[in-house]
Amino acid sequence: MSTLLLRLAAPLQSWGVDAKFDRRGTQSIPTKSGVIGLVAAALGRRRDEGIDDLQSLRFGVRVDQAGDLLRDYHTAKSVKSTYVTNRYYLSDAVFLVGLQGVETLLKEIDTALRIPTFPLFLGRRSCPPEGKISLGIRTNKNLVEALQEEEWLISDWLRRKEAKYVQLPIVVEVEKETGGAYYIRDNPISFDQNHRKFGFRLVTEIEAKVVINNESRHTVQGDTTAHDPMQELRGE
Amino acid sequence: MKTNERLYLDVHVLQTVPPSCVNRDDTGSPKSAVYGGANRARVSSQSWKRAMRVIFEEIIPQDSLGKRTKRIVSMVEKEIKKLGGIEKTEEAAINILTAAGLKIKSAEKGADALFFMSVAQAKALAELATEDPDAIKSTPSTEAKKKAKQALKESPGIEIALFGRMVADDPSLNTDACAQVAHSISTHKVNREYDYFTAVDDLSPEDNAGAGHIGTVEFNSATLYRYATIAVHELHRYLEEETAEAVKAFLNAFVCSMPTGKQNTFANRTLPDAVFVTLRNDQPINLVGAFERPVQSGKNNDEGYVEASAKALVKHANDVHKNWLGSPVLSLVIGESLKELAGETKPLKDVLDTLKEELQERLRTGGDNQ
Repeated sequence: MSTLLLRLAAPLQSWGVDAKFDRRGTQSIPTKSGVIGLVAAALGRRRDEGIDDLQSLRFGVRVDQAGDLLRDYHTAKSVKSTYVTNRYYLSDAVFLVGLQGVETLLKEIDTALRIPTFPLFLGRRSCPPEGKISLGIRTNKNLVEALQEEEWLISDWLRRKEAKYVQLPIVVEVEKETGGAYYIRDNPISFDQNHRKFGFRLVTEIEAKVVINNESRHTVQGDTTAHDPMQELRGE
Repeated sequence: MKTNERLYLDVHVLQTVPPSCVNRDDTGSPKSAVYGGANRARVSSQSWKRAMRVIFEEIIPQDSLGKRTKRIVSMVEKEIKKLGGIEKTEEAAINILTAAGLKIKSAEKGADALFFMSVAQAKALAELATEDPDAIKSTPSTEAKKKAKQALKESPGIEIALFGRMVADDPSLNTDACAQVAHSISTHKVNREYDYFTAVDDLSPEDNAGAGHIGTVEFNSATLYRYATIAVHELHRYLEEETAEAVKAFLNAFVCSMPTGKQNTFANRTLPDAVFVTLRNDQPINLVGAFERPVQSGKNNDEGYVEASAKALVKHANDVHKNWLGSPVLSLVIGESLKELAGETKPLKDVLDTLKEELQERLRTGGDNQ
């Protein structure tokens, strides 16, 4: 068993489950259905093609930067009326996603993410990913090990603003119902336009063992605009 | 073009808007987003795509256009009338649309959601209605239903192929978009500003010193990074020989458009500061990471946001090309500040023509001419 690691980052991403027309929400972390959809798009699978092999991959997420919730007020005008929909996004989030499975399939996915057949997006088409997605395969590492050992994906300059010790939450799929495990309706079975189907899957939040010792932390960080009202008082 | 070939077009635009409120939410505030921990101005992708489609009206042949409307009955009826031969044109239009799988409330109200139909598709339905009397019966045969649905799927036209179509009533009519437009965000941190205004009542008595009306308009000004990408190889499946023209139209419209929000108030109709266009054989690249660390306008405010943003974009693009993915197979630049990325800068017209020629060549030869 090996694990393929993905980096999902962009100004906006949106991972909805159970969207209704006028309210399209987002979960606080990437969904398995969204990520498997992205992988299937990279592989060039049409919507009515099977995804059993992809669905059987064990899925996990590490929250490297949680981001902010953003509500987007969206209108569409027709001749007489205006539709209003509220679309929710995560802005400024960075996630490390792991897919655990047999190496041959992971290799195929890794290659496809570098030369995707269809354009990839993070939950919504208006959310193209920033930077490279695939970080490569961690051979002989299981999901939890791979998620725990990977370096923090936050950029250097932001790292300096963070606390001295940072804990990164991890959510992974588990097979057995143990304490703290719960079901979510986010298991993609078919993306066929005529009968999209989702089942349940069992996940658990690991008490994050990933503790980052943030050496590069700065105690003072200047504001990012040039305007500094306190400058006069400091007599600079 | 070979079936397993990839061809992605990326467009990166730096564009400055003065005080403006291009795209606002339900409270009248300009839209925003957080990126790199800093608040940014944002213009949503749907807002800019709408502005692009207005330009499409002028530069794309009628048949390749689409209409996003509920009034699809009259759209089809118009084509049926043109062909002649049917008396009850309205009834025929309703029946053939129903046969194709759409829910029609009435001729007046049309569909119950906005429907995206190309003019060519309306024509195809009209032709079918005229040729096959079975298709316009109130209970059409299964065969006729199939044909009607087919007519609504084929020849999506440039607009639907680029922007896609979603049909809640009948998902088998969905078309996946070949183009992606990202929300534009400012390259730098933006603070929202408020314009408090008073309006004078021209006819108020002289001893009345009060204002006739007071109000507040929220606005910001920003140097935006705008990004869009097209899977040209996918577009080619839908449009075939029309592909190069469609990509050219997309680029032209993306570069030159501006959403109309509060334009009369702010006259913010600017053009880009610089444009970077690439073709790649592997994957599209969004270069927004160049601005994750908010751009600053120089130590003594001597550089402005445009120059500083251009520098950041050039540096980031070079990093990405050198360290990760290699250079694009074609790079074109409009504007001195990004010149380094292509070695030369060309006027918009030349870029559009070069791109079209290049695409025609690549789509014909299967991209073997690198």
